[in-house]
Formats: sequence, structure tokens, C-alpha cells
Amino acid sequence: MKTLVKGGRLVDPVAGIDANRDVLIENGFVVQIAEHIGDGEARVVDADGAIVAPGFIDMHVHLREPGATQKETIAMGTAAAVAGGFTAVACMPNTEPALDAPAIVSEVLRRAEIAGLARVYPIGAITKGRAGQELAPYHLLADVGCVAFSDDGSTPRDARVLRNAARYAGDLPQCFISHCEDPDLKGAAVMNEGAASMRLGLEGSPGLAEDVIVARDLLIAADTGKAWHIAHVSTANSLELIRWARSRGVRVTCEVTPHHLVFLDDRFDDYRADSKVNPPLRDAHDREALRAAVLDGTIDAFASDHAPHPLEEKAQLLSCAPVGFSGLEVALGAYALALPELALDRFVMLASANPASILGVPGGTLDIGSIGDVTVFADRPWTVDARLFRSKGKNTPFDGMVLPRRAVATIVEGAVVFEYGQVLPREEVSA
Amino acid sequence: MAPRSLLDVDDLTPEEIARVLDRAVGFREALPSRDLLAGVPVLNLFFEASTRTATSFTLAEQRVGADIISFAPGASSLGKGETIADTALTLRGIGVRVIVVRHPESGFARRLADAFDGHVINAGDGTHAHPTQALLDLMTLRQEFGRFEGLRVAIVGDILHSRVARSNIVGMRALGIDVTLVGPPTLLPDAFAELGVRVERDLDALLPQLDAVMMLRIQRERISAGLLPALEDYTQRFQLNRARLRQLPDDAVILHPGPYNRGVELTDDVLDDPRSRYVAQVHNGVFVRMAVLDLLVNGAAVPV
Repeated sequence: MKTLVKGGRLVDPVAGIDANRDVLIENGFVVQIAEHIGDGEARVVDADGAIVAPGFIDMHVHLREPGATQKETIAMGTAAAVAGGFTAVACMPNTEPALDAPAIVSEVLRRAEIAGLARVYPIGAITKGRAGQELAPYHLLADVGCVAFSDDGSTPRDARVLRNAARYAGDLPQCFISHCEDPDLKGAAVMNEGAASMRLGLEGSPGLAEDVIVARDLLIAADTGKAWHIAHVSTANSLELIRWARSRGVRVTCEVTPHHLVFLDDRFDDYRADSKVNPPLRDAHDREALRAAVLDGTIDAFASDHAPHPLEEKAQLLSCAPVGFSGLEVALGAYALALPELALDRFVMLASANPASILGVPGGTLDIGSIGDVTVFADRPWTVDARLFRSKGKNTPFDGMVLPRRAVATIVEGAVVFEYGQVLPREEVSA
Repeated sequence: MAPRSLLDVDDLTPEEIARVLDRAVGFREALPSRDLLAGVPVLNLFFEASTRTATSFTLAEQRVGADIISFAPGASSLGKGETIADTALTLRGIGVRVIVVRHPESGFARRLADAFDGHVINAGDGTHAHPTQALLDLMTLRQEFGRFEGLRVAIVGDILHSRVARSNIVGMRALGIDVTLVGPPTLLPDAFAELGVRVERDLDALLPQLDAVMMLRIQRERISAGLLPALEDYTQRFQLNRARLRQLPDDAVILHPGPYNRGVELTDDVLDDPRSRYVAQVHNGVFVRMAVLDLLVNGAAVPV
């Protein structure tokens, strides 16, 4: 099977290419890159006027399976991924049961295989049931395909447990991913603590709730030597701590979400939960620090924190409504909206090469011999209509907004899985 | 055009506030005939216990001739199963035109109003707003001083958890009152200064300069929540007592939204002090609520 991506501008910073090039993929691998390739047998993807990049990897999504299929399924979540231009996603372990045992992880991978769309990389739990007490079986989880470990939204309260986890898993290349929020400082907060929360009479979570856990986890990383990744950084202080840790030689990477790059904590006047998310949307000072940190290289990766929920759950009172919203289908456009000055080669690093490197997964480049995962995207403005999402979660604070960038075609292992607005399950699976 | 609902004081323009207060004064001087809201179904929906506010609203509704339905569901019966939108549709279908609502969660009145095709009066939502309380406070101040512009008012105590403080901040600022908040940082974070008011920690320095001081209730659960040390530490700095009463000018007034904790935010001396206006406040409350009902349902066109 051959696929030819024709007529686009290839942006592949790892291979050092930014030029108009055709890309030929055969049997799942890149076999030729040239100014003009003609191949009568190949399935042609028209990339005229578009940008061709190594497949984008969203290293932070919630696919909700097993356990919460009223929110999302692996099939719908991976459809959302390819429609959003992502060839691979890493899924968080906050499922029910949690991804803390090999059989559960294998089942996730089996369902992803059946869906036949984006690659799915499971993230295993750090502690059993994400309960913060007993260690998960890291080596067994690594053997079945876990690419990292995280307790997601429930960071272990007990630093001794986290330290021992990092020591025990120290010989594995899989990094630890921290969702940093101190549960005591956070309390029952529904938004950021600041003038807006004071005015609205809503309980706010201070940036400090994130900062203290970032500091703790970076010190544990320094102590244990474990590679660490800080999920969805949302404060200026966290960024300073990460810079400090790097200056001390700690192996730390970090990611930022589209919503923290775009929105502020001024979205709660209607007391609706549409913008309720963890960590919360912050103030302008933090948002500007995040944008600057993408540009200066402090932030390594984009990640959507795709967290779908049914509309009826998000319509509950602020205190009851769940946190998060769908992100996969707006992420690409939202990054471009927040960072119009970000060069394309840096954009591709943050969306593809860096996540691949952090997770130790294939991709990140389209050099000859690389896997044939390709994202074709274009700077064509479009209006978000959440009702049209492939994701089961139809809510996003980006609904109705005009975003400047969108996916045109998505190719996974040489198979065209998204083109002309249609999601196309891989032929060899669907046949 | 009059607003459809009263969720906080800023639903009213300063002119509308003046009109409500004028009308309330008119009602205080001579009760209206009971046909102002004759036949209008008004639902008192109190998810949270209330003695003074519920009683005051009920009397106000009776005095304008409304058809009153009172219902006190448990706080948990909404927000889980039936959605707010479904509840609003049901109540409208039954024929309710006005809902007076109190709920422990901030924003509940707003969410209900957004879904309800009728009038909503916020009788207190969480720590957010309590507009009719602020209006009766404003009525009491105007009765006392005949003006708002330039009055110096301090609100003292647990600002963070006080819907009365928030609604008064909104209303007083709109009317040109000079507002200072006083309390410890755990109950009055610095961020309040960004709302256009002053934040002070020293009550003693402030008292001689005030036209009015509003003492908020201090709940003992703030101690177990780790927000306050022993009450003595609080009272030593922020309690209005005999010594501090001497610092307050003779022509100043003392307001309290009630219920008060004697011996905590104030001592018995304060309640006996001729400058205390607690009784005037609750008295005015009924007339303010009558005026609000009249404004929302009948609009601004009805002659006084």
C-alpha cells in the first residue's frame, strides 16, 4: 500500500527540512521525499497550499474507557483525534478501573486497534487505583505498552510514596507525569483564586496549589533521577520552578494546554461550568507567562487535556459539574490563535517531535525510514461548532470562536484516516 | 425599562435604586392597597434555612396581595437529578411568575433566572449576593443621612463568606459611597482591593472617620476551618465594644445584617447604643421587598 502526500510545504525540523516536498509512504514507512514524486499506484493526498508535518501527538487525553462510556469511547475519542490532526494520543489512567494492571491496559489497546484510527499510548497509574498508597506494577505495565506513569488528577499526597515509586521505576525509560494541584490548598474550588472569584463569591484555587506540588515533584525528580513531565502548567511560578530545576540538571519537561494559552479566569459571570477545568484558567499575568514560555522554549509540548463530558453533566451547578471539556478538535487552531508569532518549525516540535521524544514513541519526523504518520494542516480560519464534534463530549469554551488553523488530512501508518472533513477507519481493519 | 429579575444590586441603575427606595419609603408611610400584585403567583423557594428574610418576604408579598406558595426543599434536591432548566420549566408551567430564591451555592439565582421565563428575586445565593439586604441597608443610610455621595462606610468581619458584604460593595460603589473593608487576611484577602474598595486591617484607626460601620457575623466554624485562631484574638482587633464605641463619631450609625453573635463581632453595649440601627434595618426590609416586587412585576411606569 502506497500513499503520496503531494504538493505541500514539508516542515520537519528534526530532519531539517522546510520546503515544498512530496512525501511517499509505502507499507507504513516513509520511503521517498522529493520535490515531485509521481506514482500511479499510490493513494494521493492533495496537500496543495497546506503544510505537511510529522504526525501530531497529543500526550494528554482522557478516553474514558473503561468505565465512563457516557462521556467518551476510545472509538469516538480517536475519531476526534484524527479529525483534529492527531495521529497519536496518550491516554490518562483515570478510568474505572484505573490503568493500573496489564489486562486493563491491553484491553484499551485492543479497543484502539479495533477503532483503527489514531495510535493510542496508555499512561499507567503510579499507584493502585490512583489511591496514592500502593505502587502499581511498572514493569508489567511497561511490557504491555504503557509509555509513562501518572496518577493524573490525584497526585499522591504522601511524598514518601511518590519518592519510592520514582525509585522503584527508576530503571524504566517511562517518565512520571504530574498533575500538580495540592488538594488542601485547592479545597472545593471551582475556579482560580483572584479578584474574579472574590467578586463572584466562588471558592478559588490559588496558583500556589499548583506551585507547591510542582516544587515537591521537581525535588523528588532531583532526588531520584527519574525523568519527570509536568502536565498542563498554568502559572508563572511553576515555569520559574521548572527553569530552576533544569538549571540544576533535573530531567524535566512540561506541557501547556490550548485553554490555558487562550482564556482567563473571567469566564464565570454566568456561573456555568463550561470553563470549569483543573488546573483552573488563570489571570493575564499567568497566561502571558505561558505564552512567553512557549516562545522561549521552557515549554516542550502542546497537550489538549481532552476531557469530554456529556452536556447534561456540564449543565449542573458549578459545584457539582465535572472538570474539563473536549479539546482534540480545537487544539491545533487554538495553539495558533494564542501564538500567532510562533514559527512553524517550533510549532511542529511542540506538537510532534517533542511529545514523541518525551514518551519515547515513534514519529516526530518524516525522514526516510520513519513511520508514515503525517498531519496535513492549513492556515484556513474556521468557526468551531461543538455540535459537530466527533468526540462524545460536545462542550468547549472555544465553541463559536474562529480559529486560524485546522487539520486537512491525517495519515496513520500510511493509511489516510481523515480527509475532506471525513473520518476514514483504516482499510485493513474495516475490510 | 425595569429589569426582569433582581440577582444583585447592579441589576438596578442608581435611578432605579432611588425609585425603589422612594417607593419603599412611601409604603412605610402608608401601606398600599393589596392589589399591586393581586393574583400574581409568587413562590418562596428557600433551599437554605432563613428566619428573617423568609418572614420579611412573606409579609411583603402579603401586603402587595400576591398569591404565595412557600416551599423549602432540601439543599440537595436540585442540581443532581432534575436540572435547573427542567425545574424552571415545571414551575413556569404550574403558573409561577415570581420566584424568591435562597440557595447555599453562589450563582444559583442566576442559573435559575437564565432558565425561568419570569421574575427571580435573589434572597441570598451562597457567598455571592443578597441584594434586598443591601437595598434595606441603603434605605437605612439614606433615611439617616439624606444622601449617599461621599459617605464613609466600613464593613467589618468575614467579608470572604459574606453575600451581604458583596451586595453592599456593589450598591454602595454605584452610589458614590466610600467603602472600606476591614478584617483579617484569611477572611478578607488583599484581592478585594481590586473591586474598587479599600482594604484595611486596623479598625481602631478607622472608626473616628466613619459615617457608618457595618458589623458582619463571625461564625465559629471559621475557627475549625483554620481561618481564625481563638475568638479572643479576633475580638481583640475587630470586635465592636464599649471602648471602640467611644471612637465612633456621635452622628455615625451602626448596621448589622443579623443574626448577630453577642460577644463575638459585637457586645451588648452596641445593641443598646443609640447609634445602632438594627431594628430600622429589619423594619425597612419589608418595604424594600414590597417595592422590589412592585418594580419587577409592574415595571417602572406605575405612579408612586
